[in-house]
Amino acid sequence: MAGIRIDSVTKSYGGLTVLKAFSLDIADGEFVVLVGPSGCGKSTMLKILAGLEEASSGTIAIGERDVTDLAPGDRDIAMVFQNYALYPHLTVARNMGFGLKMRGTDAAEIDRRVNEAAKILGIGHLLERRPRALSGGQRQRVALGRAIVREPQAFLMDEPLSNLDAKLRVHTRAEISALHKRLRVTTIYVTHDQTEAMTMADRIVIMKDGVIQQIASPDVMFREPANLFVAGFIGSPGMNFLKTKAQAVGGGVTAKLFGHDVKLPIANAAALAGREIVVGLRPEHIAAGAGQVSFTVTPRLIESLGSEQYVYVDLPEEHRRDAGSGGEDESRRTSLIARLINPEPRPPEATLTLSFDPARLHVFDAASGEAIR
Amino acid sequence: MPRSAFLDLARPSRRHWLGYLLLAPAVLLIALIIVYPLFVSVDLSFQNVNIARLDQPRRPFTTANYERLFASEDFWNACWVTFKLVTIVSFFCFLLGLGTALLVNNRFKGQALARLLVALPWAIPEVIAVVIFAWLFDSSFGLMNWLFIKVGLVDQTINWFSSPDAAFAVVCTVMVWKGYPFVSIMMLAGLQSIPEDFYNAAKVDGARAWQRLIHITIPSLMPVIGVTLVLVMLWVFRDFSIIYVLTGGGPLKATQSLSIMTYEQAFGFFKMGYASAIGVITLIVCVIASRLMIARAPDNI
Repeated sequence: MAGIRIDSVTKSYGGLTVLKAFSLDIADGEFVVLVGPSGCGKSTMLKILAGLEEASSGTIAIGERDVTDLAPGDRDIAMVFQNYALYPHLTVARNMGFGLKMRGTDAAEIDRRVNEAAKILGIGHLLERRPRALSGGQRQRVALGRAIVREPQAFLMDEPLSNLDAKLRVHTRAEISALHKRLRVTTIYVTHDQTEAMTMADRIVIMKDGVIQQIASPDVMFREPANLFVAGFIGSPGMNFLKTKAQAVGGGVTAKLFGHDVKLPIANAAALAGREIVVGLRPEHIAAGAGQVSFTVTPRLIESLGSEQYVYVDLPEEHRRDAGSGGEDESRRTSLIARLINPEPRPPEATLTLSFDPARLHVFDAASGEAIR
Repeated sequence: MPRSAFLDLARPSRRHWLGYLLLAPAVLLIALIIVYPLFVSVDLSFQNVNIARLDQPRRPFTTANYERLFASEDFWNACWVTFKLVTIVSFFCFLLGLGTALLVNNRFKGQALARLLVALPWAIPEVIAVVIFAWLFDSSFGLMNWLFIKVGLVDQTINWFSSPDAAFAVVCTVMVWKGYPFVSIMMLAGLQSIPEDFYNAAKVDGARAWQRLIHITIPSLMPVIGVTLVLVMLWVFRDFSIIYVLTGGGPLKATQSLSIMTYEQAFGFFKMGYASAIGVITLIVCVIASRLMIARAPDNI
């Protein structure tokens, strides 16, 4: 096991740059998740790390060894692929032992390690089967097993859960976390699913268009997003954004929200006055009933999940951001979602009073999208 | 508009009728030009017939054709020639076909042109190709003799078509040249159906290029290889025009395969009963050989 040091790695195809100066230090035994929308460069980074693609510039070190120009097989890493890439003509046992066999490990040792890994994953009874005779979840385990038997310096996982159904995905997610706690092997995990990132990661690296947006632990990522993109990406449903203008009042800054002058939780107040800002408010921080800042709305739609309700409200025109800013879909731009926990049943057409605590607000610069604290 | 329940082929219970209906013309045609002659030929092989005519009365049943056949030295020679041809041509077709397929499966500039060139021999009509090769191997002014002498392999011209070994080698060469593009095209199709991630996984597992070929490429191609080899084998078995145009079966019957012998007996000596017996034996050998090869291909995909 070893730490990994990625130093300003870039990747471009002709004129198209898909990865811009990616630098990341991963500690020994850490579970790092690269997350972002498709096309953000996360899978490219993983492939470069595995040696399946060449970096245009930059260096990669695993442990203390520079592996930038080493063949994938010489890097001492194991990879789990999205479609598992199990060899269909080999049995499960021989699939798992393939990497060891290629390295010339003797048969008895391969057997011992395959059996050990199979025991950990509970697939001992499947060892003599072919991959096509296995269910999706079983194949997934075999793919994990193939990585484990190698006892590598690091695991690389490329969206390993995306081919599983929703229930199995939640289950396997927990299993991978447990496996990581048990083996303590440095793991780099790529996904587009923020839930996977939040639940599994020690640290999340969130990417967009080949650029790292923020590197932080899940909790920090949720509480202190670095910019509008991170704020909108992390959390489900995503954060609500309201465009408004900051005004200096006394020692602090206020912004007009739903007709109220709301004091913003900002330390550096002076520089902000008069600027266009975007205020972020998480759906779960909106409560039903009166509170510190209350407003009355007519819901457009109420989705009930039993334990919680999503209330969709049309945003007043003055709070809507310009089309195309932030890159998310139109409905997110024009509506506000409130996530009400343990709600009372309510008729969809009735007016509703919602409220929030101004201390929970996030403030972003409207032009740059950077967070202001 | 309500349709008659009987004619409505879209009904689930009638759907298979449409299939049979569409198959019928092809089945009829095959029955007429393949199955019927096959039965006639089996029938003829048990009669002492010289020139077969359908309006002739049946001759008495006899196994004399087969008795003569198995006692004939020519027949065993033809079997041996055919066996050598099938083995050598199939082997080199496979080697060249897989090699070229692996080459043009890589991404490089001019890949489309390279694929076209690989497939080109397949597109040239057999007889034309053979005539060209006959000129190349001509003993007096052929390119091959000139080339061999220039390179220093031989010091005097080889008479390609009068030496049994040389003639056999020329027949093999032409057959391989004509046959490998088919293998190449089939292999290329097979190669493109192998997911890229198999190779990525193998690379991460530390497999070298050679190991990837042995452990990933070949096993993944096994179903294609099995079918292709059977088809190539059957093609060599039945191919007539290349040998006939090139050597006519000679010299000294060195290139007389079963199909040439059948033709010679039927249309050279007009012993159609005897020729039918050779044909029937060829058919049986082909059926057994292809069954064996298909059964050996593991059904792993």
